[in-house]
Amino acid sequence: MIKVKNVTKKYGNFIAIDNINFEIKEGEIIGFLGPNGAGKTTTMNMITGFIEPTQGEITINGYDIVKKAKIAKKQIGYMPEGIPLYYELTVKEFITYMADLKMVDKKIKKEQIEKVIEELNLNEVKNKLIKNLSRGYKQRVSMAGALIGRPKVLVLDEPTVGLDPKQITEIRSLIKDLGKNHTIILSSHILSEVSQICEKVIIINKGKIIAIDTPQNLENKAKKENCIIVTAEDPENKIEKITNQIEGVKNIYLIKDNEDGTKQYSITSEEKQDIRKKIFEKYAKEKITIFELKKAETTLEDAFMKLIKVNKEEGGNK
Amino acid sequence: MGAIIKKEIKTYFLSPIGYIFIGLFLAMCSVFFYLDVFYYQSVQFENMFYSLATILTFIIPILTMRIFSEERKTGTEQLLYTSPISITKIVLGKFFSAVIVMIIAEICTLVYFIILTFFGTPHIQTAIITLLGFTLLSMSYIAFGVFASSITENQIIAGVVTISFFIISWFLPNFNSQFSTISLINMFNKFPAGLIAIEEIAIYTTFSVLCILLTIIVLQRKKSIK
Repeated sequence: MIKVKNVTKKYGNFIAIDNINFEIKEGEIIGFLGPNGAGKTTTMNMITGFIEPTQGEITINGYDIVKKAKIAKKQIGYMPEGIPLYYELTVKEFITYMADLKMVDKKIKKEQIEKVIEELNLNEVKNKLIKNLSRGYKQRVSMAGALIGRPKVLVLDEPTVGLDPKQITEIRSLIKDLGKNHTIILSSHILSEVSQICEKVIIINKGKIIAIDTPQNLENKAKKENCIIVTAEDPENKIEKITNQIEGVKNIYLIKDNEDGTKQYSITSEEKQDIRKKIFEKYAKEKITIFELKKAETTLEDAFMKLIKVNKEEGGNK
Repeated sequence: MGAIIKKEIKTYFLSPIGYIFIGLFLAMCSVFFYLDVFYYQSVQFENMFYSLATILTFIIPILTMRIFSEERKTGTEQLLYTSPISITKIVLGKFFSAVIVMIIAEICTLVYFIILTFFGTPHIQTAIITLLGFTLLSMSYIAFGVFASSITENQIIAGVVTISFFIISWFLPNFNSQFSTISLINMFNKFPAGLIAIEEIAIYTTFSVLCILLTIIVLQRKKSIK
């Protein structure tokens, strides 16, 4: 559906995007992750044809976004960062204008506009001026602009920024719904959001792709070492010494001292070894009372931080 | 292109800009109608257009200065340039919308023509030729204004650049008569005399096309360097 081949974007001597390659299949929901200034928006701007790549080519459904701009752009709905809207228009006027810009067939235009207004719950504000709307509504109007004409590809640049928690859940479930019959690319800082909505994640840093994978796989990769959290009562302060005697333990350190006299520790063990049983038995023998014993979960956050860190170190070695 | 024209004209009249422009233009019309026509007890409708042409220098930027710079500042250009409509059509759409507002203002001046018919028989052909010349002059001014708006995201700068250019082109012949051939405003003088000046029509048209082309090039180029 979308092919990005050897794409580079330079601003003078500064390389914003450095030779990236990826492919997105029809019906996929892809998340773009990366720190600020990583090149997410630049990549999205190139996919939507707002700016042209310095090198390489981008095709949408087989049509080059630069050479066959008209056909390619018809298949994309774009919700830009910072929700730019025409504040002097009413919601309905804006959506109608977007429909005209997207060359939506006159016969189905009216019905399409009604449908989008319905879908995004804009009925009560459809005759209000956009400048008088709240942030959440503006966001939805912008989304409506992207959705009109039912483009096959939706590109959403940080669609949930600035919304309240209820609106965020609404927008997320809407995106998930849309994902059933659209190809969606979205960017976000929020990792939990990406792991909830997206089937595939592209992590980008300093203009380079550092990982393309499913959220699960990324989490699994970060899960190299087993990490266990244990909370125990240890009046004699011998827990560290005892734990180090257990086979397979690599490291133990204190996380915090609780007010009720218990202490929380983090214990790391060798790869793919569950030492919880051993810990339990050993502590029982030594009369240390365990209040809590659990495996620490690795989140996408860890994967992200790890990848960014690895990338930085590699960059430093060069 | 129709969609752009429709929306732009709507914007002119949803905001005060359209009314300010037409209001100011008609106010100046009344002043010059009194000073150049009524005062001399003449029925020569076209006489007021010599002075009106100088007013264009200051009021055309009202129409054109926001045309692209505002879109860039608010980011709405992203909606425009990611739509299937080509840059050429976007530029032409915006240009013609401003021209249409100008023509609406010109049509309003026919009121003065009607007033004159009560006092005598003003020459209708000369009036039409004058309005034609005036439209052509406005078109080339608007085209330059559109170009100025495309090079900056600051409306004020766009406006100042436009006015400066008009003033320079207006007064250059005073320094050296060689420049009289490029003074857009001086070329207008033939029309109220009732002449359909082919050379002037050609220059106005060429100048408008040149400015439009430059605008398209600027915007196209911004895509690859932005």
